[in-house]
Amino acid sequence: MNLVEPFTIPYMQRALVEVLVLGALAGAVGVLVVLRRLAFVGDALTHTVFPGVVIAHLLGRSLLAGALAFGVLTAVLLTLLGDHRRVGNDAALAILLTSFFSLGVVLISRTRGFTADLTVFLFGRVLAIDRTDLVQTLVVGAVAAITLAVLHKELVLRAFDPEAAAAMGYRTRRLDLVLNLLIALVVVAAVEAVGTVLVIALIVVPAAAARLLTDRVAAMTALACLLGAAGGWLGLAVSYEVSVDHDLRLAAGATIVVVLVGLFLVAAVLAPLRRRLAARGRVAAAEAVR
Amino acid sequence: MSGLLDLFGDGFARRALLEAVMVGGLCGAVGVHVLLRRLPFFTMALGHATFPGVVLAALLGVSLFAGAAAFGAVVVVVVALLGTRDRVDDTSAVGVTLSGAFALGVLLLSAQAGFSRDLTAYLVGSIVTVQAGDLVTTAVVGAAVLATLAALHKELVLGAFDRGGLAALGYPVLALDVVLLLLIEATVVTSIPAVGTILAVALIVAPAATARLWTERLRATMALAAALGAASGVIGLAISLQWRVAAGATIVLVAATIFAVSLVVAPHHGLLAATTSEGPAPTRGG
Repeated sequence: MNLVEPFTIPYMQRALVEVLVLGALAGAVGVLVVLRRLAFVGDALTHTVFPGVVIAHLLGRSLLAGALAFGVLTAVLLTLLGDHRRVGNDAALAILLTSFFSLGVVLISRTRGFTADLTVFLFGRVLAIDRTDLVQTLVVGAVAAITLAVLHKELVLRAFDPEAAAAMGYRTRRLDLVLNLLIALVVVAAVEAVGTVLVIALIVVPAAAARLLTDRVAAMTALACLLGAAGGWLGLAVSYEVSVDHDLRLAAGATIVVVLVGLFLVAAVLAPLRRRLAARGRVAAAEAVR
Repeated sequence: MSGLLDLFGDGFARRALLEAVMVGGLCGAVGVHVLLRRLPFFTMALGHATFPGVVLAALLGVSLFAGAAAFGAVVVVVVALLGTRDRVDDTSAVGVTLSGAFALGVLLLSAQAGFSRDLTAYLVGSIVTVQAGDLVTTAVVGAAVLATLAALHKELVLGAFDRGGLAALGYPVLALDVVLLLLIEATVVTSIPAVGTILAVALIVAPAATARLWTERLRATMALAAALGAASGVIGLAISLQWRVAAGATIVLVAATIFAVSLVVAPHHGLLAATTSEGPAPTRGG
């Protein structure tokens, strides 16, 4: 398989840049999502930006602006709704997620060409993005990356020890909001390329794989970025190769996700090996000391 | 009232109405158990994960129910296995399984022609096209699920609140867990023709969460949840036929609206009751 040759075509180049940026960004944010066990929140945000995309489409405005508005709205709602005692976090999330999603479906079902549009919004069209889309992704991605870099220490502390974070004077609620907004930004940046439904895979899968392979947060983040970007590259190459050479159309976004899950499975196989090596290392070190 | 009857005058509308009532009632009753065990995310994953099964079944020309059920069972096992590894917590395991299975479904479908039309029906349901055969399946599966729930009611509830107690009484805890997961799976699969793979979880969670706001007693909660589920189905369907919008999504919006209103006005647990009586309700720690 050729990893370079397909990307001499301009639209493949744009797609490649897009998935590399998205993969790395989603990987970095994903580490926090996995550490905080927020996969469900991530999934909720991917569904709740959907009506924003639909409304923007109906009004003829930028899809990104619509997604951004709804992403911010739900990030705030999720942070607020989180602690109603009787309802429970999960139930609140499930209802919020599905009702926002339904709103999008209802709105778009009024238009003609309903099913084709729905498919694009849900699964993206990474091969059809233009220069403007790419610039928008880069800008949103840069904002998210800078926020993440500035607040990384605080967010990690909040993940491992919320009480210490509160005792040190950090507003944990505000940090939760920041993380929810970061997830929303990743989803928004990815909307055009991979669609609202498959973004969750970009966020959760590389981070979960990285977590299997290392214990240190910095290494985990680096690895998740790398895996996310590599999955995007490989996925695009596979989808191109199969579609062109074997005449079997494979949706690019979905191929990327399947490749990512493959990388996760490899990590799951390697993880016990790594742990055994680490344990042997510790024994050797102990003997050396003796 | 006669206007409502007129709306359901056609054969397809009457079938859709029957399906909406049955699926709504079934989902509502099962939803109470989903909430007791905090399984909404799992249910969500199950909905997504049955998707490649449905696609495969459609490609092979076998029953969609069989395909969805088979894949759902695989997912139950995969989530259970991944969850037992110490480095992958439940939520991430569910997240990985969910997105992986979903992408697999899209991949399989994308290799076909007529990609987007079929896809939409699976994703968001198509209740106005249910056939008599679907109705029979829904009725049979629904009756079986409800009968099992009724027969095992005491054991399942005890298992939700006190697993140690259940084990001490000599019940097979793991087997009961699997039975419950399979009941949830059967419910999700049954509701796919009506509301689709993505939205099934809404019809399961929203009526049950609403019922829990209104009553403390479990049997009353289940009855109320079933009634609310069926009512959401009927009202949603009527609205969708009247204004020609997607039926499954409208049903979900109705269920969510009832929940949102209840969240504000319900006695004891509603937001209004919490602010007027003894100040804000104590929040969970952390």
